[in-house]
Amino acid sequence: MASAMEIYQYLPRTNCKECGKSSCMAFAAALLAREVTVDDCPPLKEEKNKENYDILVKLLPPAESASETGMIVHTELCTGCGNCVVACPVNVAEDPYGAGSGKAPTSDKIILRVEDGVVKLSNVESCRRFGPQSRLCSGCIATCPTKAIEFV
Amino acid sequence: MEIKDFVCTGCALLCDDIGIKTEGNTIEKTYNTCRKGAARIRGDEERMTCTIKGREENIDKAITEAARILSEANKPMIYGLGNSSLEAQKKAIELASKLSAYLDDTSSFCQGPVVEAILEGKVPTCTLDEVRHLADMILFWGSDPASSHPRHLSRFSYFPRGEKRQRGWEENRTAIVIDVRKSDTSEICNKNFYRIPPGSDGELIDALTAALNGKIPKVSFGMSSKEILELANLLKKAEFGTIFAGLGLVYSLPEIEPMIKLIEALNKSSNFHLMPMVGQYNMRGFNHLLFEKTGYINRVKFDGNKVDHGPHCSVMEVLNSGETDAMLIIGSDPLGCFPKSIAEKLKNIPTIVIDPARTFTSMIADVSIPSAYTGTEAAGNAVRMDGEKVEITPFIDSKKLSDEEILKRILEAI
Amino acid sequence: MGFGQFISKPELDILIVTHRDIFQNSAYEHSRFSAEYADQSAIIILTASDMKKIGIKDNDRVLLKNKWGKVIVRAVESKEEEEHAGIAYMLNSPWSNVLVSPETNGTGVPSFKRIKATISSTEEKDVEVLPVSKWENQD
Repeated sequence: MASAMEIYQYLPRTNCKECGKSSCMAFAAALLAREVTVDDCPPLKEEKNKENYDILVKLLPPAESASETGMIVHTELCTGCGNCVVACPVNVAEDPYGAGSGKAPTSDKIILRVEDGVVKLSNVESCRRFGPQSRLCSGCIATCPTKAIEFV
Repeated sequence: MEIKDFVCTGCALLCDDIGIKTEGNTIEKTYNTCRKGAARIRGDEERMTCTIKGREENIDKAITEAARILSEANKPMIYGLGNSSLEAQKKAIELASKLSAYLDDTSSFCQGPVVEAILEGKVPTCTLDEVRHLADMILFWGSDPASSHPRHLSRFSYFPRGEKRQRGWEENRTAIVIDVRKSDTSEICNKNFYRIPPGSDGELIDALTAALNGKIPKVSFGMSSKEILELANLLKKAEFGTIFAGLGLVYSLPEIEPMIKLIEALNKSSNFHLMPMVGQYNMRGFNHLLFEKTGYINRVKFDGNKVDHGPHCSVMEVLNSGETDAMLIIGSDPLGCFPKSIAEKLKNIPTIVIDPARTFTSMIADVSIPSAYTGTEAAGNAVRMDGEKVEITPFIDSKKLSDEEILKRILEAI
Repeated sequence: MGFGQFISKPELDILIVTHRDIFQNSAYEHSRFSAEYADQSAIIILTASDMKKIGIKDNDRVLLKNKWGKVIVRAVESKEEEEHAGIAYMLNSPWSNVLVSPETNGTGVPSFKRIKATISSTEEKDVEVLPVSKWENQD
């Protein structure tokens, strides 16, 4: 994961305050905390800053997809292959003959499903990495051909 | 409207568990499709227009002009059809026969040798459902389903639980990748990834066969005899194995026989099968239909009651040698996917294209005829990569004619 | 004008292996005439040592040529840990097909996946790859 300092390097560093923060460094910290998104910095969206904008988007996975378990789907990398849908032990337990057998899901309780060609999360509280009895599970990460799933 | 169990025509897996949410004739959401399937279902944003020599015309005139070109030609050729229904393919075969035309499809320069060996009964094959329920050994040779058939591993070959493979990939299945590059599929199977130099597939096949026949295997590249022996032993211990042949393998083998010999050697102690990784959703359907009619899967020239067959009837040779004087192309885009120097020859002869989307080839076509997408807009049947027949039911009400209807009308006009 | 134009650029013989990619393929399904499809197709993936040999960096434009044609694409550094000197990757597309030989030795199967070509850095302008309309200037 990028640090605030690293993020700061790609910001305009003009402290223009257009984003509502007191400085670019404050904006970098807010980005890291996912309080704001890259698009909240107006100068970054100018053509001359496009390269930095693209780098930042890559450095910072979209905030809305970072779930409570720290699970992030990089939808731009996801191929919708559904390997994670079949491999996830919670999906298998909740829906052995649908999602667990490689077919269309038949349960609402599953964590991973595919919509419009990319993976979508739901019921993340059931993820094995979540809650007091949490444990390390890598089913979805190990089976992803494009490293589109990450836990932060 | 919510549609269930729609069949995706994005590739020859023909996934039949797709959900679609529509609003009128607009697709709002797709469920369970891979990225490629989702794009396919939404279709090309630029649809084909109906034209004669670049000018927009109505479909009746275009069909009449297409019929005129084809009947006036001495040696017309019909090509494409991998993205058409069985019903449309039947009409195309009928048309080729009536015109004494050349007829060929994509299998001519891709999976033809594998499909041919299967249909001629020279090599054992199986269905994808058998793979899901029974297979404990899966070998992707020169194939990269993560890129070409995204749901292959999740629906059938590696991850799902099946009747005899209750624990799925973790304990019950082994997946091996043999390829010339580190593909996305090899990322998943990295414990069993064998990288070989381009063009050395045949050498490794012979070495594995030798190892299975009790000889010491040798190859000229960086794989030791020990490594090859270990791979051979791993394979022969399988209860049910399937080799998924990709283009990387097929292009690298001048003949398919060495692969057949390897499977024979494996089957002294195991139960192995060969399956082609067919790209276009109904290429195999065309091969089946033509085989039933002529005994050949592709590359034919009709001549009255006789049928000629061979590389000289292949689309590449016929087009490159200037043998044909008019071409009808259905659901394919030679100016995008042929060697450019061959595709350019289409500029010299009258060309007719039928396609749902505007194609590169339509830029140089004398006649372009828009068709409905089989799948979302038109009904039909197709044959999956494993030979299983799948029925396709559309959900969009389209005014466009299907390939089948267009071909039927051309036939009637001749 | 500098002296650069008189100094011949180092050329390297390479073997291009073509393959498929789901992102490029989805762009094709969405619109084969789109800039997105062209951007994702007109690429060659090279191993670091080969890039060094011809003096280019990631994203530099390179000229690929052989007996059958020439094409200008963007060079991208390979992500594979292992070097693959002399072997480059391209996606199957009209850009790779410029270089595919029409000669099939009577087999009817062109060598789509193993293309011999030379590569060098370039300042030449892009080569038109996609077909232009045969009918546009008829009026």
